[in-house]
Amino acid sequence: MKGIRFWFALWAGKIAAILMKMMGRKATTFPGVIAGKIDQSIINHLGMSFKKGTIIITGTNGKTTSNNLLAAILSAADIKVAFNREGANMITGITGALLQNTSFFGKPLADILLLEVDEATVPVLCKYIKPKMAVITNFFRDQLDRYGELDTTVRLVMDALPQETELILNADDPLVTRMGIGRNNAYYYGIKNLPDSSPNSNETREGRYCNLCGEELSYELFHYGQLGLYSCHNCGFRRPDPDITAQDIKPEEDGIVFRVQTKGFADNTGELFYLPLQGYYNLYNGLAASCSAMRLGINTEAIRQGLKSFVSDAGRMESFVLDSKKVTLTLVKNPMGFNQVIRTMINLKKDIRLLIAINDLAADGRDISWLWDVNFEGLVENAHNLKKIICSGLRAEDMALRLKYAGLSESIMEIQHDAETAVKILESQAEQEDAIFVLPTYTMLFPIRDILSKYKTSKAQDKEVVGA
Amino acid sequence: MKIQIYHLYPDLLDLYGDRGNILALSARSRWRNIEAEIHKVSLNESIDFNKADILFIGGGSDREQSILVEDLSKRREDIKEAIDDGMVVLAICGGYQMLGQYYQTGDGVRIPGLSILDLHTVAGKNRLIGNVIAELDTGASLNTIVGFENHSGKTYLGKGARPLAKVLKGYGNNGEDGFEGVRYKNVFGTYLHGPLLPKNPHITDQILKLALERKGFNGELVKLDDSLEIAAHQAIVKRFVGNN
Repeated sequence: MKGIRFWFALWAGKIAAILMKMMGRKATTFPGVIAGKIDQSIINHLGMSFKKGTIIITGTNGKTTSNNLLAAILSAADIKVAFNREGANMITGITGALLQNTSFFGKPLADILLLEVDEATVPVLCKYIKPKMAVITNFFRDQLDRYGELDTTVRLVMDALPQETELILNADDPLVTRMGIGRNNAYYYGIKNLPDSSPNSNETREGRYCNLCGEELSYELFHYGQLGLYSCHNCGFRRPDPDITAQDIKPEEDGIVFRVQTKGFADNTGELFYLPLQGYYNLYNGLAASCSAMRLGINTEAIRQGLKSFVSDAGRMESFVLDSKKVTLTLVKNPMGFNQVIRTMINLKKDIRLLIAINDLAADGRDISWLWDVNFEGLVENAHNLKKIICSGLRAEDMALRLKYAGLSESIMEIQHDAETAVKILESQAEQEDAIFVLPTYTMLFPIRDILSKYKTSKAQDKEVVGA
Repeated sequence: MKIQIYHLYPDLLDLYGDRGNILALSARSRWRNIEAEIHKVSLNESIDFNKADILFIGGGSDREQSILVEDLSKRREDIKEAIDDGMVVLAICGGYQMLGQYYQTGDGVRIPGLSILDLHTVAGKNRLIGNVIAELDTGASLNTIVGFENHSGKTYLGKGARPLAKVLKGYGNNGEDGFEGVRYKNVFGTYLHGPLLPKNPHITDQILKLALERKGFNGELVKLDDSLEIAAHQAIVKRFVGNN
């Protein structure tokens, strides 16, 4: 079954990775390119070889965090996990991750494979790999220039997923739950209500209209964006009853406490969980991971432990201490994610100091018009807490202009193209108690992370970012 | 003085930061102590276009655009009459295409447009995506427009329409004839989003001025501090076409 080409491809890819490592280069995609050129079907052979199967995680936001939370839970249950590194979520990167987790003799080095997959890559990947399970987090507008439009993206993913693949779906997102229509192997997670859920919404949101009949969807409650308790009065399409539901949600200084109710146990009070991540969007990531783990037969205790002991990923609400001031670094890449970060900052009720670094390279999305869909007006409404916003990156001026039209006084804005200088200014002007946030787009994340690492004075929570 | 701005179908057409265009129009009025009232128009809502000073139509996804073509065609006579009377219109991307004669799909089917402007659009094979810089013929110190385009339709102007600008970088109307957008009476049609108006304050002010002139105001607009707008504009010009 495995021909000579397979072995050539495997060895060429593995040797390329070793050579690159020896040269001190990050072997993210190149070994995958080499191996794929020699034998295109290598991804099929390797991807289908894991004992407990392959799980893919896709959607606009939360892929990386959900993937890593699930890995943490499975590891807590003594299952050996292989996964692809953040950013390596297109075909060559995935092939690279497979090579890394396969021995020279073609044997998998783990029990289960977790892959975060770029939405547009799902159709290509599913030609080679039939996933045991697919987790779909949400669909928001993101980098429209790369995929055409959101509608197309949702349809591409829906059409590509094999019937046999079990689906783990966000019940609160109507764009996601349409994937589960007519399937008996779809499972759902959802949130009953957040402390700031509301019957009305003024956020830019997707999927206003019922996908089945075109009628405007009605909402009992909006959590954020189009996520909430929705139904269609015309055709009966509605939020499915989730298999696991989070309720009694309480934000704490560095994380979230919540109860989890399992479907079928209507009168239990729910198990108490702690997720050491800020931002309600991370609660969805925790639920995605918990629901998948539950379907994989992991017991509640291991799920609880996995979530509790989770250490945040690079640039995902990651903390640094600079001269005894806490600086939080978090990636921004689309309006809904940005809105959630703004909400999290405001809820801290502290003086806010920000560095926003916007680039427009391919990985960031070349079209920066999404900045105008971010609710900066909501940030400016809390202007009494806003002490400073420094704009950096290739699109620093665009960012500053956006803030001007949101009503922010130019006196607290500053454009500083040099990121290191920007970090120094931000830190030196801050008080110890301030909420200091650094918000870069993708290609600014790692350069800024390096700067923060260089200046940090404590090594509180360190996590190895680069695997290979 | 009060300017009435009608925003067509913001529920359906809200791609590419179009909110920014409305924000720019209202902020630049407000900063001059001119009141701007925004009316969000939904499907089937009855409106009197005679009351509109500025009409804004943005772009949407294909699915959403097809829902509203029907609604829009019912309003065709009213819109045409108002345009002939000097109503200022800013139409972007899908909104721009809809003002023309027709949109010809890949299968050769011609979907009729409002036929108000002498232009038509033909579905292209590839999407035309990227930053655009185009030159105006005003001779003013800020003589370019900048933005981002993302469209697969290629638009061709007929004899009765003149282009808004000449492409310096990007594709523009069709990637072939070097023109971008359309100007007809007080109508501005363009593929530029990004959004267009905040970073092109001269266009925003021209739109406001035309609307005010139609209401009988003939003075000059109060000058604003546009240093940030111009910095954002020039950063793009400098990056993609060099110093001029």
